[in-house]
Amino acid sequence: MPGRVPRVVRTPAIVLRHRRLGEADRIVTLLTPGRGKIDVIAKGVLRARSRMAGHLEPLTLVEVVLAHGRSMDVVTQAQTIDAFPAAHDDLDRLSAAMYLLELADRITVEHADAEGLHDLLHVALVRLARGDGQQVVTRTFELALLDATGFRPELTACLRCSMPVAAEAAWWAPAEGGVMCASCARAHQDAQPIDATALRVLRAFQTQTYEEAGRIRLTDELAARMEQAMHALMRAVVERDLKSAQFVSAARRARVAGEGIEAAIDAARDTAGDDEE
Amino acid sequence: MHRVNDGHAPFLPGASSPIARLVEAFHRLPGIGPKSAQRLAYHILRAPEAEAQELADALVEVKRSIVFCAQCQNLTSRTPCDICSDGSRDHHSICVVEEPLDVLAIERTGGFGGVYHVLHGVISPADGVGPEDLKIGELLARLRDVETEVSEIIVATNPNLEGEATAMYLARLLRPLGIRVTRLARGLPAGADLEYADDVTLSRALEFRQEVQ
Repeated sequence: MPGRVPRVVRTPAIVLRHRRLGEADRIVTLLTPGRGKIDVIAKGVLRARSRMAGHLEPLTLVEVVLAHGRSMDVVTQAQTIDAFPAAHDDLDRLSAAMYLLELADRITVEHADAEGLHDLLHVALVRLARGDGQQVVTRTFELALLDATGFRPELTACLRCSMPVAAEAAWWAPAEGGVMCASCARAHQDAQPIDATALRVLRAFQTQTYEEAGRIRLTDELAARMEQAMHALMRAVVERDLKSAQFVSAARRARVAGEGIEAAIDAARDTAGDDEE
Repeated sequence: MHRVNDGHAPFLPGASSPIARLVEAFHRLPGIGPKSAQRLAYHILRAPEAEAQELADALVEVKRSIVFCAQCQNLTSRTPCDICSDGSRDHHSICVVEEPLDVLAIERTGGFGGVYHVLHGVISPADGVGPEDLKIGELLARLRDVETEVSEIIVATNPNLEGEATAMYLARLLRPLGIRVTRLARGLPAGADLEYADDVTLSRALEFRQEVQ
């Protein structure tokens, strides 16, 4: 039987992650503009002389040529478009980038149309790599991602009684997807009080442009509170722990650990992290 | 249905038969597919009983006698391991690696005379591995407890996203302690072709270029 001519597709893609397949191959998870998230096979990339390996590392925007395979497409060529080198030079930026990749991976279903997502992730990675504040980049990405996937959180009206909630009186209910008023929150076990300033800034991030959001000054403490609230929300949306979110917190703890080996040991061993509290 | 014709034709064993169990056990090993698992199982079947016994004994013994070295966390039959208890090695410099096999790779070069620390993994959120799952706390405790002052930590994790994140995380923890933290140089492998090198590798190779001797 004559073999079918393989269908070849050329597409840009962001490498989200990869896992080992057999002795020398990898299954690479790509986020493409046209075909959404796809798993493809990269043959021989674990060999030292592979010409593609360096181009198919996570946190790389590549142009790939894919040959149609039986169960999965096979990468026949890969060329880096942008490796976001500056995102690799700083632990806070790198951990934030890993978090963005994991979020994009966990929230998408394979082959679902994700044109918007590829662009959202690309823009966020470019901003991280050029040195924009990682808190602003991460929070605006989370909110835009939730919008794009239909999980837009309710930040102004109570999720139960629909009455507008003042930031000072708001409770945070991640499992429900937003805020509740104090009286509705009483009947809801998971709801926690949320810092009023943190909520106001999140509201601003949800409605303003990125440039406007970037002008808001965030103290470390405020940023940490917003991070805690959004990590809890994202965990509820993807219905699992996000290890990279915990790593973002661990990296920060290591930065503020202070002098001395005991402080370092505490920072390294504090597995619960402020995410879990 | 296969017929037994020469004593070792591969007739299909039932799921609960000893052969099926052996095939299944081999299949669970990394890099062994169903066909290789069958081949290995039938090789054992044909081999003399002594050879099979030797393999079985070796498997049981390795699980019973191999422990983590109390210092470097490498796998060893006695703790501290041969490398950690070798007085001729330089205990001022510790090379941090991901896996025990990396120790063998660096030892093979003969170019490193210090001691090691094995993390048993690398920070990889995508695979659910965080810093708390590695032997990082053990490394810090070791720095606190050893008599010899450690002057340099060479982070020899792999040059990929996870390896970089692990290296930077370690550096962030260790720098405030006044310890010099270095990273293996990153550049072109022997036999490489510039045309096919990725941008990150090529730019690092340029950055860390050296004078031609």
